[in-house]
Amino acid sequence: MNRDLRFTALKKTPFHSRTSLASRTNKYYNWNGFTVPTEYSTTELEYTAARNGTSVMDLTPMCKYMINGSDANRFVDYLVTRDLSQMEDNTVAYIIWCNEDGKVMDDGTIFKFSNTKFMLCCAVKIYNWLHDSAEGFDVSCEDATDTTAALAIQGPTSCSTLKNYGADDLELLKPFGMKQYNINGYDVLISRTGFTGDLGYELWTDPANAENMWDSIMEAGKELKIRPFGMHALEMTRIEAGFIQTNTDFMAAEDSLRPVRMRSPYEIGMGWLVHLNKESYFVGKRALKKEKETGNSERCLVGLDIDGDKPAVGSVIYNEKKEDIGIVTAAMWSPTMKRNVALASLKRPYGIKIKENIFAEIYHPEELEYKKIWAKCKVVKRQFFSPERRNKVPADLYE
Amino acid sequence: MSDNYDVIVIGAGHNGLVCANILAKKNRKVLICEARENCGGLLEESITNFVPQIPLSVSSSLGGLTVKYKAKSSIALSESGQHIRLVGNQHIDHKVISGFSSKDADRYVEFHDKMSSFSKALGSFMMASPPRIMNNTFSDYFKLFKLGMNVRMLGKKKFNEFARMVGLNIADELEDNFENTLLQGLIAHDAVLGSNLGPRSPGSLINLLFRMATHDNSIFGGIYEIDGGSKAFVDTLLDISNKNKVEIKTSSSVKRCITENDKAVGVELHNGEKIYAKKIISNADPRSTYFSLLGTENLDTDVKRRIKHHRSKGKVAKLSLSLNKQPEFINCDKDDLESRMVIAPSIDYIEEAFNPSKFDKLSMEPILEMKLKNSDQSNPALDIQVQYASYGAQEGWDNIKDNYVDAVIKLIEKYAPDIQSCIETKAIVTPDDIEKNFHVTGGHWHHGEIQIDQLFMLRPIPGASQYRTHLDGLYMCGAGTHPGGGLTGIPGRNAAQAILEDA
Repeated sequence: MNRDLRFTALKKTPFHSRTSLASRTNKYYNWNGFTVPTEYSTTELEYTAARNGTSVMDLTPMCKYMINGSDANRFVDYLVTRDLSQMEDNTVAYIIWCNEDGKVMDDGTIFKFSNTKFMLCCAVKIYNWLHDSAEGFDVSCEDATDTTAALAIQGPTSCSTLKNYGADDLELLKPFGMKQYNINGYDVLISRTGFTGDLGYELWTDPANAENMWDSIMEAGKELKIRPFGMHALEMTRIEAGFIQTNTDFMAAEDSLRPVRMRSPYEIGMGWLVHLNKESYFVGKRALKKEKETGNSERCLVGLDIDGDKPAVGSVIYNEKKEDIGIVTAAMWSPTMKRNVALASLKRPYGIKIKENIFAEIYHPEELEYKKIWAKCKVVKRQFFSPERRNKVPADLYE
Repeated sequence: MSDNYDVIVIGAGHNGLVCANILAKKNRKVLICEARENCGGLLEESITNFVPQIPLSVSSSLGGLTVKYKAKSSIALSESGQHIRLVGNQHIDHKVISGFSSKDADRYVEFHDKMSSFSKALGSFMMASPPRIMNNTFSDYFKLFKLGMNVRMLGKKKFNEFARMVGLNIADELEDNFENTLLQGLIAHDAVLGSNLGPRSPGSLINLLFRMATHDNSIFGGIYEIDGGSKAFVDTLLDISNKNKVEIKTSSSVKRCITENDKAVGVELHNGEKIYAKKIISNADPRSTYFSLLGTENLDTDVKRRIKHHRSKGKVAKLSLSLNKQPEFINCDKDDLESRMVIAPSIDYIEEAFNPSKFDKLSMEPILEMKLKNSDQSNPALDIQVQYASYGAQEGWDNIKDNYVDAVIKLIEKYAPDIQSCIETKAIVTPDDIEKNFHVTGGHWHHGEIQIDQLFMLRPIPGASQYRTHLDGLYMCGAGTHPGGGLTGIPGRNAAQAILEDA
């Protein structure tokens, strides 16, 4: 056997020379086959930068697929539950897609360049799924994960940072808009998207430009509290924003061995992305229509506001009769909101009709001893943190 | 929009005709759209020489069929002239085989009994739609339970034996039982007939059980020829259709199914004409039904995958020789010439013939099943089924057709030395021709392999096994559905029942 095939080391992203230099902790993890930092210095510091300055994250390991062809528009509309037939060029849409049973496979974002060209970004690898779904459509799907370098620039001063970098008039870009730039002699696509629930952008370019891009942006944000941030800090910001993560808050349909663990969009609070009145068929439509008509969704994914300040990580949720009604999928003490928040998957009617009198059993470690806390919870909107500046046009600028 | 018809059947193959007539008898206004000029589908070309009898439950639901069958015996031809003739009667066959080996004769009776009881257990499910495994309803589980029970009721010993045999290859079982290679070859021939398997391929045994289930649970009994040929059969069905006021539109190829609110409401013909009905039934093969009629844009990805993986590569060609006189087959009397003549002298011979077909190539020494027609008249003809004539042969059918026909004739020459001088004309219909002329994907007899992964509730694909497709209002009634092809009319009849249940 070829020696190289026996053991494949984790790949390095085009930013690795810079991220590894910025890392003071040497803490890395495997994201989709790439090695990327979990934290550079301390998670708290990085989180604070994301909420008060500019944070920079290497997004390259995200799965990216180019979808080209005369049927690209029809195909994308067929693939996802959301009605994209009226989507405008140079915009981005948040999407989910399902299998034939109407169970969610993953969520992601779709970038529309034109009716014949799209880019799909997501967490779980789906090349095979795209390829098999494309049967009968005139499209070609190409995995662009390795050939596209991506950087997330998030936080209140992110727009100013990028303007300094060379993105003129960026403040006018609307949320979920995207614009093609030529900066420092190379093409960069900038979209006003992100995973922190704050003002933020994502940059997409050829890997050859990655190092220049990193260096230039770091320089541009020098006076704007710029700081690279890792996965742990991102996790904090995304929980505050109420964003869900595949295989954390729900199991991807293709990854779950047990059919009962699969979730429909209605069961993870994504019903608003299912457009059953879409004229054409989309994968899972028949099953979803049935679920909607019969109303037999079994679970729901909700936000919880929990008494006290101890994060309810992994807690089981009970009703007042101490019956198990669900589980916390993500939890944290939110430093910005000063609230103890969590995302939880509950058995209906809890979370939908019954929103009070539910409890989290929290095991809080204190110097080798666990303290068991019985904390009262309230079902609240999942979006805990959503500042006005997030959607403001023109975006806030700082000097 | 008004429904002009209650039901539109796409395709006037025999299953389509059976289905249409059962529905018409229940006062449904039925239209059949047939792409070809003539009705009968594969029957029109008499693609199969020998057929099982239409089961009583099918003919009675049509109000009786006047088709007459002639029972046929089978003869395994041997180059030496030591042919084996079997009629499907245990006593007679025992005596015949004793002439070769008394051990084989005793074993044959035992083997036959065993196989027969298994085929009965399987066959009891032929007349009902199979359970739907993706449905989770009580009746489906009950059906599955009953199938299990039927097999279990054979007794512990037989149940174990069944479990052992169900995935077995036919060659192992035959070699364990018999020493006569000609007998082995004959049984193995029937096991692999119409399939994409060799005698040493796992699963070739269940193929034989399935064949037996439609052939009176017998290996060599229950093999018939239709009096007057398959044309007589089609004519009978057309007469009934006339009586039942089934409208038939020939030369009307359906382009696609018209859908409204994700429900089939009509068909659009290739000439642009649109016809509406409450229910649409496809007699086409599963792939055509799903990919052409339903349309890939209306299918879930998982369904596309299943249809794409559906195996339907045809392996049988039909060679018709018209003769100016009756050829002299070595050591064959008049009765022998009247019977089903098989050239498959041994398991190894069949396996050798099968080998190239694994690579979509052709063996120049295939296995043959022959029928001599009009033997006592001035215009005799020899109809030959050539097995392992691969669909989409790598050699290219256009290039090799003539050579292939010559090779088959040369093969027959070993058993009938004067065959060359008798031939007037020759015509071959390959699986590629079947696909082209009859719109059957892969040109497969059964619209899909009869294999354990494509049987019962898995036929044609999981989730569509009860004659209902994934689209509301669109049904299937062709050989691709349970229990498969073979001129039984059962799929057509079961489909009609499913439609009546839903109404």
